[in-house]
Amino acid sequence: MPKDEIPPGTLYMLILKTLVRHGEMHGYEIARAIEQLSEEVLHVEEGSLYPALQRMLVKGWVEAYWGVTAGNRRARYYLPTKLGRKQLEIEVRQYQRVGAAIARVLGTA
Amino acid sequence: MALLPRFRMLVHRRQFDRDLEEEMRLHLDLQKQQQIVEGLSADDARTAAQRQFGNTTLLQEECRDAYGWQWLEEFARDLRYAARSMLRTPGFTAVAIVALALGIGANAALFSVVNAVLLRPLAYRDAGRLVTILHNGRNPVAPANYVDWRAQSNSFTDMGAAEFWTPNLTRDDPPEHIRGLRLTQGMLPLVGVEPLLGRWFEPGEDRKGSEHVVILSYRLWQRRFAGDPNILLRSLILDGEAYQVVGVMPRDFQFAPFWATRTELWAPLPLADRIQSRDGNSLRVFGRLKPEVGLGQARAEMAALTARLEREHPGTNRQVMVTPLKENVVGKVETPLLLLLGAVGFVLLIACANVAHMLLARAATRQKETAVRAALGARHGRLFRQFLTESAFLGACGGIAGLALAVAGTRALIALSPARIPRVETVTIDTDVLLFLLGTTVLTCLAFGLAPAMQAARLDITSGLKDAALGSSDGAGRGRARKFLVASEFALAVVLLVGAGLMVRSFFALQAIDPGFNPHHVLSLIVSVAGSKEAGPDRRAIFYRQLVDRVRTLPGVESAAAINHLPLAGDLWTRGLTIEGRPEPRPGEEPDAVYRVITPGYFHAMRLPLLRGRDFTGNDDTRAPGVVIINDRAAKAYWPGEDPVGKHVSLRSRTQREWLTIIGIATDAAEADWAARAVPEIYLATFQNRDYLADRGAYITLVARTAGDPAALTSVVKNVVWSFDPNLPISEIVTMDGVISEANAEPRFEMLLLSVFAAVALVLAAVGIYGVMSYSVSRRTHEIGIRMSLGGTRTQVLWMVVRQGMWLALAGSAAGIGGALALSRLMTGVLYGVRPTDPLTFSAVAIGLAAVALVATYIPARRATRIDPMSALRYE
Repeated sequence: MPKDEIPPGTLYMLILKTLVRHGEMHGYEIARAIEQLSEEVLHVEEGSLYPALQRMLVKGWVEAYWGVTAGNRRARYYLPTKLGRKQLEIEVRQYQRVGAAIARVLGTA
Repeated sequence: MALLPRFRMLVHRRQFDRDLEEEMRLHLDLQKQQQIVEGLSADDARTAAQRQFGNTTLLQEECRDAYGWQWLEEFARDLRYAARSMLRTPGFTAVAIVALALGIGANAALFSVVNAVLLRPLAYRDAGRLVTILHNGRNPVAPANYVDWRAQSNSFTDMGAAEFWTPNLTRDDPPEHIRGLRLTQGMLPLVGVEPLLGRWFEPGEDRKGSEHVVILSYRLWQRRFAGDPNILLRSLILDGEAYQVVGVMPRDFQFAPFWATRTELWAPLPLADRIQSRDGNSLRVFGRLKPEVGLGQARAEMAALTARLEREHPGTNRQVMVTPLKENVVGKVETPLLLLLGAVGFVLLIACANVAHMLLARAATRQKETAVRAALGARHGRLFRQFLTESAFLGACGGIAGLALAVAGTRALIALSPARIPRVETVTIDTDVLLFLLGTTVLTCLAFGLAPAMQAARLDITSGLKDAALGSSDGAGRGRARKFLVASEFALAVVLLVGAGLMVRSFFALQAIDPGFNPHHVLSLIVSVAGSKEAGPDRRAIFYRQLVDRVRTLPGVESAAAINHLPLAGDLWTRGLTIEGRPEPRPGEEPDAVYRVITPGYFHAMRLPLLRGRDFTGNDDTRAPGVVIINDRAAKAYWPGEDPVGKHVSLRSRTQREWLTIIGIATDAAEADWAARAVPEIYLATFQNRDYLADRGAYITLVARTAGDPAALTSVVKNVVWSFDPNLPISEIVTMDGVISEANAEPRFEMLLLSVFAAVALVLAAVGIYGVMSYSVSRRTHEIGIRMSLGGTRTQVLWMVVRQGMWLALAGSAAGIGGALALSRLMTGVLYGVRPTDPLTFSAVAIGLAAVALVATYIPARRATRIDPMSALRYE
């Protein structure tokens, strides 16, 4: 079944939220977690996920280290930094504000 | 953005890519498993996973982009590409780099000289406020005037004065005639350079009797005393008197800066009884402007002050000028140096034009490549950047080669430069020069790289692909730009060649000047007697006479004599004259003359013909009546229409008047400046002149005419001098030819440099037109083939190509002649005996350049006639 793309600008927020909730995860786990938590509505494109993770590394919102998966494979695990948690708060607040505003617009329509 | 992770990524790029790949693989595998779990077959799962994943390369690129290094990657790619394409055409690359290196290197080398000589401030404290106060801006001042000015002016924090002094350093081996200066006590504090060792002169040390202290230059300290750290405990014997060393100046200290520049020691100047003297102008006066006083204000004050003093003491305070010290130091070389800098700038412009049109031609042959790249999606900006990178690469190579050339060129310039260029010893490749080189290189890259890059970026894809495929003649616009560049090369080359031609003509005019005497085979040297046993007035006359006689009888010496100051090389002393029977002249109109003191036989030894009368003889001594010989100019100026022989003159002096009888008239001889017009001159007899024989700083300039090479006799003559007294210092050993060559060193230097620049310009312009014509012929092979197969003759083809090339050359030359007419006026000050619009130079340059252009176009034109119509039609 077709899945919805993630609305632009919210990917960072979703990744950060997932990481804050679950602690460290590798890329595939993050993608799966978002899909599952959204009850398979949202679909994370790998083509967006990994560049986004790299950008977040550069910005210092997440840290990464190499670990071993349950299946005994090497994997890069990501975990949120203090800066990342702060960024999450900012983005959530912003999203709620915009969301509420959009809802009001739609409500008056 | 955080810099550390970004740099880490840059350094560990391979690792970064491997990590990403591993991450992707894991993702794919996990996705596949997931899909198998969801019920797909293994194969389907893999394709599904892969499909979903999309383009891994793109993804990796995007991940890398997160770190913001795309520009660097693109740049590195462009650079690699540029290097590859340059290496593919080694001939083109070599020509371009050589042209750029010549242009950039020559500019940097000349700039290093201009920077050191003209731009850098003098090495004194706050040197911009230092001025000289001199008659006519350069002539020395009488002691009483200096004293008055210092006491009565308000514009200066202080004034100081310096007087020429060349003492004999004896009792150290070997004896030496040393260039020194005597300074008023405040002179060194005025320029404000602290001694390296010891101290400045103290107040009172310039009082008579206390003046026996001396400050050494670093050079003298090293040269004569091996840098003795206890030098301050020593004393020197100067002119037979003991002087205590009280200081050593730093290595790069030079004073005075515009005259007596090679001074090696300084002693106090006791003015003593001379403090009242308004005769004997011997002081160079320096001042420091008060911080709140401008130059104009100081000039106004001094003008008023000297006008008042002139009324009190007529004839003593005329034409007193306040000049910034730096202007006195560099004023004379400013125009020639700026002229040369302008010329070398033209060379760089020509080099730029050359490289630009070569790049344009190359861009044209690469039209197809560019069009293909554009068709495949390269953005215009990207193409622009790539072409600019190629130019920058070329420019950087040129700049680096230019730096090497500048280092060598600067050395050559210093070696070639005439000694008279001030401060040339301070020329170095410093940060200023490096910045200049960098700036020039960047500007150069933009100048020659922008046009081809813009053309490449603007290219219309379809026509580009078509044009290239057809191998047709040039697209009109590009051809025009290239032709314009070649024509401007010719224009610039004409300007340079005219400049060089004028300098050459001027130089030959200088060479043709008759100095009045025959300078070949003449050896000259200075023997100083001050402080020796020969110094006594009675002893001195005998010694001079014996010395000249002994030298005259040496084998290989034809004749010998002595003079106080050698023409051109020595000092120039001027005295006022009183002519018997004439009314007292009005102030400012007193006759004066350069005066030289000679022994009998001087005119013979110098081959300076006597026009009338007789030479001095050995009998013209202190017991005989006073006699004098004048030069032709003095005869014509002061006795117009009369015969001066037998008339009487007297040297102007306040104390005594002794009439001297004129016994002869000599040919005008060169004085201090080679190209200057003759001035009145009088010759006095050495053995008759009590003042000269009693003068404290006594020395004599020996001249010997030799049969063979004069320099070969140097050691023999020296031994003759030392056979009288081994303590006699000998200095200034020169040949008269050498003196004249030195006098012409500056014009020779300018001529040489300008000629080199013009030659480079000519070669570049020739290469330019040759390149354009060859290129045009090769592009038009197809067209020429058609013409010939349709019955065009070889002559017609030859004529067509030559006409095209010559048209460019002639149009450029015509513009250049216009430019040269406008610009050569700037050279008026450095030319001698030739007008800046000299028709001979202009026509010679025009004809010469046309000939070069003809050869440069004829070669490719002939190649065009050899085109075989059949193969030409099949071409491409």
